[in-house]
Amino acid sequence: MTKEAKIYGNWEDLPASAGGTISHSRMETDSRQLAEYWRRCSLSSDFWARYTALSSPEFSVGRPVRRDAVESTLSYLLNELFENTAKFSGGPVAAVVYESWLFPDRMAFQVTNHIEPARRDGFVQLIEELLGNDPDELYFKRLEENAETDQKGSGLGYLTLMKDYKVRFGFRFTPVAEGSIAVDVQAHIHVKEI
Amino acid sequence: MAVQEIKGDEYVIEHNDSSHVVGFKGTIRLQTTDDYAPITDLLQKAHGAAGKGKLTLDFRQLQFLNSSGINAISKFVIAARKEDKVSMVVLGSQDIYWQQKSLSNLSKLWSKVQVDIV
Ligand SMILES: Nc1ncnc2c1ncn2[C@@H]1O[C@H](COP(=O)(O)OP(=O)(O)OP(=O)(O)O)[C@@H](O)[C@H]1O
Ligand SMILES: [Mg+2]
Repeated sequence: MTKEAKIYGNWEDLPASAGGTISHSRMETDSRQLAEYWRRCSLSSDFWARYTALSSPEFSVGRPVRRDAVESTLSYLLNELFENTAKFSGGPVAAVVYESWLFPDRMAFQVTNHIEPARRDGFVQLIEELLGNDPDELYFKRLEENAETDQKGSGLGYLTLMKDYKVRFGFRFTPVAEGSIAVDVQAHIHVKEI
Repeated sequence: MAVQEIKGDEYVIEHNDSSHVVGFKGTIRLQTTDDYAPITDLLQKAHGAAGKGKLTLDFRQLQFLNSSGINAISKFVIAARKEDKVSMVVLGSQDIYWQQKSLSNLSKLWSKVQVDIV
C-alpha cells in the first residue's frame, strides 16, 4: 500500500499556526463519543459556529457581515462535517480533529477522521462524482433517486453545502497505520457568499 | 380538533388535523434515516387527512434541520407530488438563514408547492 497522501478537489495546505489569520482554532475528540452521544455533533457545531462568528467585525469584504448569518451558516456546515465523522469513522483510530482558519475574506475548516482502507475507494468515487458534476443537477437527481429506493444514507450533506452555501471542498487521504487511513475534509467559504 | 405531536429533546412537531397544519419547532438533527420515520409517518397522516385540500408545513420556528432531515421532507414532497392530491404550502421565516437558503428547493421538486418566506 502506498504511504503517500492523495488529494482531491479544493485542497490547500493550511498553516499549522495562527500566522496570517484572524483566528485559528483546534479541537480534538473521538468519533465513538460523537456517535454514542449524537447531540455532541450539534453541540460542537453550535459552539464553534458561535465562537467563530464573534470574529465577524474583522472580516473585510467591503460591507458589514451579519454575525447571525455567519453563525447559522457555520452551524449547518460544521454539523454536517461532525455528523460524517461520527457516522463514517472506522478502523482502529477513533481520533477526530477539528481545525479552523479565519482570513479577512474567507474561512477554511478542516475535519479529520479515520477509516478502514477498504472504505476508501467508494468514498473517492463519490468525491469524484461530487467534484465532476453540477451540484444543482446532482442534488435533484439524488433526491429523486432517494425517493425511489430505501437507501440508508441520504448523501445530501456535501451537496446541500455546495449548492446552497457555495462551499468548496477538498479531501485528503493519508495512510497512517496498519488498517487506518486519515481522511481530511476541508471546507472553504468566501465571506462574500454569506 | 385533534393535535398529534412528536416530541424530542430539542424539537416538537405538531399536526393539527382540522387546520391541516404541521408545525415544526426547535432543532431537528437526527442520526439515521430510521430516526426520521416517525416524522415521515406523521406527515403521511397529515397528507391523508388533508384529502384534496390544503396542507401547510410551517417551519417558521424550526431553527435547524440537518441534511438527513432535508432528505426526509423532500422525499415526502416527492411522494405527495406522485399522488397529486393536496395543494401544499410551505411557510418559512426570513429570520432563519437556512430557510432562506434551502426551503425554495421544495418548490423545485414539485412546482405546485407554494413556498412563502415571511
Ligand atoms: N468523514 C467521512 N469519512 C468517511 N466517509 C465519509 C465521510 N464523509 C462522507 N463520507 C462518505 O461520503 C458520503 C456522502 O456524505 P454526505 O454527508 O454528503 O451524505 P450522508 O452523510 O450519506 O447523508 P446526509 O449528510 O444527507 O445525512 C457518505 O455517505 C459516506 O459514504
Ligand atoms: Mg453527511
